[in-house]
Amino acid sequence: MLTYMDVGLSFKENQEIVRLLRRHPNQLELGLFGALWSEHCSYKSSKPLLARLPHEGRFVVQGPGGNAGVVQLSYRWDLAFKIESHNHPSYVEPEQGAATGVGGILRDIVAMGARPIALADILKFGTDDKSQTLRRGIVEGIGDYGNAIGIPTVTGTVGYSEVYDANPLVNVLAVGLRARNVHVGADGARPGSVLILMGQATGRDGIHGASLLASQDFGEQTEEMRPTVQVGDPFMGKLLMEATLAIVGKGLADAVQDLGAAGLTSSTAELAYASQVGLIVDVSQVMCREPEMSAYEIMLSETQERMLVSIPLDKLKETLDLISDYELPYTEIGRVVEGDFLRIVKGDVVLADVPTGVLVGGCPRLPIPSDLSTLLGEELLEEETSIPLNPEWGYQVLGHPDCRERSAIYRRYDSTIGVRTVWGPDHDVAVLRIDDTDGVAIAVCAPARWAAVDSTAGGIGAVVNALSLVATQGAEPLGLTDGINAGNPDKPQAYRRMAGLIEGIAQAARVLEVPVTGGNVSLHNETRGQAIWPTAAIGVVARHPHPLSPVLDQVARPNLRICLLNPPKVSRLGGSVLQEILGITGSYPRLDLAGIKSSLHVLMDMAQKADQAGLAAVRSIGLGGTFVAIARSLMTPSRNVGVQLNLPADSLVFDLFNEMAGQWILYIEPDFLSKWEDACQARGVRLQDIGITTDSPDIVIKGGRTVTWPLQELWHAYRQGGDFIGR
Amino acid sequence: MTRTYQLTFLVGLKSGILDPAGQATRNVLQHMEYAVQDVRIGKWIRVAIQADNAEHALALGQEMGQRLLSNPVMESFEVTVKAL
Amino acid sequence: MSDHTAQPTVGIIVFPGSNCDQDTVLAIQALGARAVVLDYRLAELPPVDFLILPGGFSYGDYLRSGALAAAAPIMDAVEKSAASGMPVLGICNGFQILCERGLLPGALLPNPSGEFICQWQTVRVVNAPKGFETMADGTVLRLPIAHHDGSYRVAEGQLASLFEHGQVFLQYSDDKGGAHALVNPNGSVANIAGVSQGSVVGLMPHPERAMAQYLGSDDGRGFLAAWLGLRGNVEC
Repeated sequence: MLTYMDVGLSFKENQEIVRLLRRHPNQLELGLFGALWSEHCSYKSSKPLLARLPHEGRFVVQGPGGNAGVVQLSYRWDLAFKIESHNHPSYVEPEQGAATGVGGILRDIVAMGARPIALADILKFGTDDKSQTLRRGIVEGIGDYGNAIGIPTVTGTVGYSEVYDANPLVNVLAVGLRARNVHVGADGARPGSVLILMGQATGRDGIHGASLLASQDFGEQTEEMRPTVQVGDPFMGKLLMEATLAIVGKGLADAVQDLGAAGLTSSTAELAYASQVGLIVDVSQVMCREPEMSAYEIMLSETQERMLVSIPLDKLKETLDLISDYELPYTEIGRVVEGDFLRIVKGDVVLADVPTGVLVGGCPRLPIPSDLSTLLGEELLEEETSIPLNPEWGYQVLGHPDCRERSAIYRRYDSTIGVRTVWGPDHDVAVLRIDDTDGVAIAVCAPARWAAVDSTAGGIGAVVNALSLVATQGAEPLGLTDGINAGNPDKPQAYRRMAGLIEGIAQAARVLEVPVTGGNVSLHNETRGQAIWPTAAIGVVARHPHPLSPVLDQVARPNLRICLLNPPKVSRLGGSVLQEILGITGSYPRLDLAGIKSSLHVLMDMAQKADQAGLAAVRSIGLGGTFVAIARSLMTPSRNVGVQLNLPADSLVFDLFNEMAGQWILYIEPDFLSKWEDACQARGVRLQDIGITTDSPDIVIKGGRTVTWPLQELWHAYRQGGDFIGR
Repeated sequence: MTRTYQLTFLVGLKSGILDPAGQATRNVLQHMEYAVQDVRIGKWIRVAIQADNAEHALALGQEMGQRLLSNPVMESFEVTVKAL
Repeated sequence: MSDHTAQPTVGIIVFPGSNCDQDTVLAIQALGARAVVLDYRLAELPPVDFLILPGGFSYGDYLRSGALAAAAPIMDAVEKSAASGMPVLGICNGFQILCERGLLPGALLPNPSGEFICQWQTVRVVNAPKGFETMADGTVLRLPIAHHDGSYRVAEGQLASLFEHGQVFLQYSDDKGGAHALVNPNGSVANIAGVSQGSVVGLMPHPERAMAQYLGSDDGRGFLAAWLGLRGNVEC
């Protein structure tokens, strides 16, 4: 006999269920509530906070609530895109956990009727021995799925800290392309339609994944409660993707919903709720992989590669023929009726019957504390005001695991399939060709160290960082997606840090006027009381004005002027890689969003016609600061060009290594410098001329004493890490 | 006195865990008109080891199977021993 | 096909799990040829002039890469057509399928690293097979590779015979055409990236992904144009 505690519900929540139903739920119904009222499915702790995010925008076709957000790219194309996390499963079984994470987000995109065209990974790993094993498995699993199903991985980010030792983060962004005349989602099911479940037969995989695994902290107990691991099958995933897209393309389905967390329970309940219809689901019609599965197991199984489609009767035969042609297993598991309930039956016997308004909409949300804004005040740690430069730091920062070259990871992902990838993972921003006129720029970032102390500042920084990356291409941002990863929301400090992170994202997205069209919240990233840094994974899709000729991010010519666009009035090192190397904990600065907004306008205008602006190359400044941005812009295959910079000696360390996002390093043809000065002056943006490119392959700083970093040495640090042997 | 024993491991997915490779292989065999009902695919591992006696070798084999050769989250294994 | 002015028809076989089929269709169309997608269940081929087995993970690469697809119904017809001299090109997984079927010599084993590898690669033409006559030996091409099982091996004693019979088509090389261990991405014997047997050709790199400079290279355009006997920029 199950109790409410066995399905992860609280006493109060159980009381609320009884009140709303006006009766006690039976065992199966309790299971349904346990799943749908879990943190993972209901977002009960985060939803009131997420309401602060801006969802409206000129190009928004579908905001949060669907399987993925949709924005308009051009008069022909829409883009569906979203970040999903698979953190807990990847800790339990790294390879399959990561693989099924990729499969899951791809099905979300496909369920919107969009063909996936790109993947990006946002990974955070710990630093202990076990983390090495986890990293190997996770990287392998992501590749296994993405490569086999044939979607290119075009960009990504990876970071390391011991706070992720027992909580690695695996967030995946997927982007899909949909013709503008296609509209499908979970909200169109009409009474009379038939529910088809197609794909993998249902097994006892991952039962209670949502309610227990993803909604509680890890401890000794959960180690023992490991559910049967879900195994990813990219082959079945590919067939399912093609069949679903064919069904949508022919206009056969009135609604599509993929099966993810909480399996049939959440997919049927959400489809019914979104479409405002009733569903009758017969569990005896569900194909099972194992004998004697109970209704409870069938409803809560998280077997992968399954899709639910609602098909009007007159289109049923054509649909079933099409599914059979892909040799996909399927059965008719129920039908759509007038009403507002989810009824589970087995033949003639009713096993569960609950109003979807209660099941999906009834979960009590955690109210926002009234003093939250006070709680989110800036947390400022004192910083030194003057530090003499140690040239060794240049190598250490560039060679830091968060800054150094990542090809050992991305080489294992297919980035060229699909023949759209103009710029792939060897750049900070991906550039994809869509057709002769349309292109997309995609960027992701997750600068977690910035949120380690002041999470609001970190949330602002993450959004600014993502938008700064696509701005280098003169690309117009269409929408943002956010993956929130944080600790146990029931603990005041973890809650406050999550709230701060979301508040920071909201502030930046509002001021910079880019909507957030969906995302994911993963909480309880906490093991034995140790929480991760609140980590925002931000993804942005942008309309690229000239995808076949990206604005370069490297320089190969001497005598170009080097300028900083929008350098901070006061540089601070808080939250930087250098601070970590020096063993200092500091708070990331709260960025000047108004100034950044003006700078974004200047850069977008100029980069849209880079050749007329004499813009030879540009890089956004992020992790590792100006120093890393400049060093990386010189890492061409020949590495025969260097720079000479004139920077004041007293603030040199701050100028080189501050990570205040929303500033850029520009390489400008000398004749065009005045044009830039005029453009910046018109919008009140600072432009600082700091030096020139030279034909001597090193970074030289003049100002006070002369400091020189030979490019070859920097290259070794970049390739092999900051403390490589033999330098 | 130790001598050499040969341990043979059969490592496979636990029953109940989806085996996509076995499933795809089963389907193709069925298309080739073999009356195949089920296919499960696993690994075969052979290890030569010094041990005091067969029981000792087998005990070491059990240990290796649990600690490295199988993934206890998803896989089970059988080990047999033979004197060389 | 003797009339080079007519538009050739290229059959592109799609197996369950193929995923480079659409890229290949686009590449063939970009060259002005007609592309026809062929279902793996066909017992007979429609009238086509050329056949391509595209890349991907047919049947998930389960059991062994290419093994399950090699048993697909259409492969009987492919075998028959190849015997009568129809040009057949296997790219990546297509190469693996042709080896498994015995239409090409050798086998493709997992990369020694045990890892998938995706990168740009230069290869040099050792012996241009039938159909590629316009491509001079020694030509260096820049093409992407993307595979997990690309380590080419042959039975003991077979390597010398492959070279003697002019069956070694492509070798992984540096950009000057030097084929040495440093530029061997996957432990293939003698750096072999592609082989031929009669009118059947297989290679691991992806010419269909190198159709324009903005994608990183247009050498694949010249490669496929040469195979189709079309005018293309094969000067590379």
